[in-house]
Amino acid sequence: MRDFVIFGDSTCDLSKELREQFGIEYVAMNFTINDVEYPASLDWNSEEAKAHYDIMRAGKRVFTTQVPKNVYYDSFKACIENGKDVLYISCSSALSASVNMAVKVANELKEEYPNAQIRCVDSLISSLGQGYLLIQASKQRSNGLSVNETADYIENIRLKVNQCGTVESMEYLSRAGRVKASKAFFGNLFGVKPIIISDRKGQNYAYKKVKGYPNARVAIAEHLVNAANGVYDTLLISHADCLDDAILLRDEILKRAEFKEVILSYIGPIVGASVGPGTVIGFTFGEEVTIEGNE
Amino acid sequence: MQQHIDGKTLNYLFTMGYRNLKKNIQIINDLNVFPVPDGDTGTNMVHTFGGGLASVKQSNNINEYTESLAQSVLLNARGNSGVIFSQFVNGFARGLKDKTNICFGDLALAFKYAKDDAYNSIMVPTEGTILTIIRESAEFLDKNAEQFSDFKSGFEALLELMKSTLAKTPEMLPVLKEAGVVDSGAAGLVCFFEGIYAYFCGISIDSVETIDLIPTQVSNGTVDFGPDSVMEYGYCTEFILQLMNKKVDIAAFSRDKFLRQLEEMGDSIVCALSGSILKLHIHTFTPEKVLAYARNFGEFINLKIENMSVQHNETQIEAKREKVKYAVIPVVSGDGIIEYFESIGATAVINGGQTNNPSVEDFLNVIKRFDAEHIILLPNNSNIILTANQVAQIYNEVPVHIIPTKTIVEGYSALSMMNLWCEDVETLITEMSSGLDNVVTASVTTATRDAKIGNVEIFKNQYLGIKNKDIILSGENRLKVTRDLINQIMCDEDKSIIIVFYGKNADESEVNALQNYLKNEYPLADIGFIEGKQDIYDYIISLE
Repeated sequence: MRDFVIFGDSTCDLSKELREQFGIEYVAMNFTINDVEYPASLDWNSEEAKAHYDIMRAGKRVFTTQVPKNVYYDSFKACIENGKDVLYISCSSALSASVNMAVKVANELKEEYPNAQIRCVDSLISSLGQGYLLIQASKQRSNGLSVNETADYIENIRLKVNQCGTVESMEYLSRAGRVKASKAFFGNLFGVKPIIISDRKGQNYAYKKVKGYPNARVAIAEHLVNAANGVYDTLLISHADCLDDAILLRDEILKRAEFKEVILSYIGPIVGASVGPGTVIGFTFGEEVTIEGNE
Repeated sequence: MQQHIDGKTLNYLFTMGYRNLKKNIQIINDLNVFPVPDGDTGTNMVHTFGGGLASVKQSNNINEYTESLAQSVLLNARGNSGVIFSQFVNGFARGLKDKTNICFGDLALAFKYAKDDAYNSIMVPTEGTILTIIRESAEFLDKNAEQFSDFKSGFEALLELMKSTLAKTPEMLPVLKEAGVVDSGAAGLVCFFEGIYAYFCGISIDSVETIDLIPTQVSNGTVDFGPDSVMEYGYCTEFILQLMNKKVDIAAFSRDKFLRQLEEMGDSIVCALSGSILKLHIHTFTPEKVLAYARNFGEFINLKIENMSVQHNETQIEAKREKVKYAVIPVVSGDGIIEYFESIGATAVINGGQTNNPSVEDFLNVIKRFDAEHIILLPNNSNIILTANQVAQIYNEVPVHIIPTKTIVEGYSALSMMNLWCEDVETLITEMSSGLDNVVTASVTTATRDAKIGNVEIFKNQYLGIKNKDIILSGENRLKVTRDLINQIMCDEDKSIIIVFYGKNADESEVNALQNYLKNEYPLADIGFIEGKQDIYDYIISLE
């Protein structure tokens, strides 16, 4: 059985330490500020993250682009030439079209290398939810599963990763078109927090409103603990430069259930561009997501 | 001596009463419990009764006349006193059923029913108000009406009783006593009957010109038409065309033939031909084609073309009703607040509020624009809730629900929690109402007179800090009054959201100063500033 390389992308929000620990590579998307394009690195420190979100707070828009074709091509090809297969777990296809490009590249490479296995799995989630699936893939690889077995496994469990969070302002999500909700939800509401989950289609869905951040924290904690339904294995929380809020959310959740492991991380520039500074999102694994955003 | 009167005379009497009411409109408005410039009882009563008189179907028959009057007064009712007044008229009419003309004694039953209806319109009737005058009048007439053989002596005695009751209102209602005023609604009713009595004394009250009454305007969430708008509805095109001999054989001109070609150019066509004058109404996307076509037959006397996306008025003959599941309609005033409420999802907005209460008909005009499964009204003013209740009773097509929001701030709280894709209306209303118990409305305005309210000493033109309905502080410096007001509430109650609607008269540097102050003072609070452009209240603040 051939070894395989696991790729995430810039939206998986796994720190360097975690990627090294689990042997996870990533392909980078790009973002543009002031007409200058940067690759969306996952290796930024807190100062860089703060500086990035401060630029957004000052009103500068961040534009993002999907993973370029040549990045997929070069990254995947290098693995194959090293005699390894490829498992790519992408950002939700509802949020980025990257996975489509990856599939196209995979098909091209398979013509060149008929024996190579390249599997592209749509995570139907982003940020640490995607990161969680990447870690699970790594664990299955360590258990001796093949690339196809691992890919199938991830496809089976992906909807059991539950996301729940809130944003400081709906402006970014609505501007980026990266959320499902009615127009009235987007109004410039003060004091009202949307509770945003990732639905069955992998789209962000603002499924309810609560008054004020403290209430939002409680609603998110309850949602995530209910979703975990007794499997208090890993709790993941990502944030867009609001560590204090992330810690408060963590404590709110830990009050309700003792998770064995907690992973906190910054939301990277790609997801950050569409959720905005001040966003906190939690993820737990357990019950399958049932909600599907209408409209 | 007048022993009997008919419908025509009653109409004259009522007109006299109305004129006297209108003459005293400002005096009644100024009978405000609080020294703030928002008294509107006189305005509301004048609108209510005046609107009724304007559209009543005249008849010599008392029964026919009063029934028609009751109907139109109900539709024009606005404000609490206006609604009570309209119910008074309604009961009055019920009491005169089957009468072609009446003697003074007949008023006993009319007043009895008038009292019943007036009291029934209020959940918790308060004594020391217009209700007390109506009740005591009814009781007086029940005992004594038969004694009077003519109207003059009867009204003289009745009016004397009304005036003495009016003078007693401060004794019955402590807030009146504290403010040193009599009840405004009661005073309005007395003015009305003074006008009637004047008729029998041979005194004429001329039609009085008073302040312009601002008509309630209707604003719709979809009226904006900008550079990127889609031409959705076409143009409402109306004209009067003079058919011209040199263009067409007028005698042989066929309206039907003329219309046949037009039908391809639009719909909602209404066409009338009278001699050589043709009147046309059409909704079309190509008015230029319609005009060119019409000019083949004549020349325009006048012409009107309106983009229906921005059309406000009632010229649409067959307005298309917008289909929505829930029509959520708040009553708001202040251009900025209206715009904001529309942006956060109000289906339509009724422009009105303190000093400009919408009438039942104003509500109905907006409601009728929607083909909705449920109508949800947010009165946003304690003086409009009763009108909204009346609307719910009158409108039978679909259920009308009222979330009894008493202030703009409560209206915001309800709207902000609205979730229009909610499956059932009960859940929607529960969610919208969920924040109401916890929200405090703070407002800042200017005192209209010296007063002492509770422990607060107030001088005219000072700024007043008001928490819900209570004046809690006053001072010369508006920024300081506003800050102190917010601080005091934040100190008493644990609030995490502060939203400031600043009014027309708030100046920019002061608003900025307040914003910076609040951000420093309450770093954990969610703070929002909205340019409300409202009158009267320089600041309306939501604390939640």
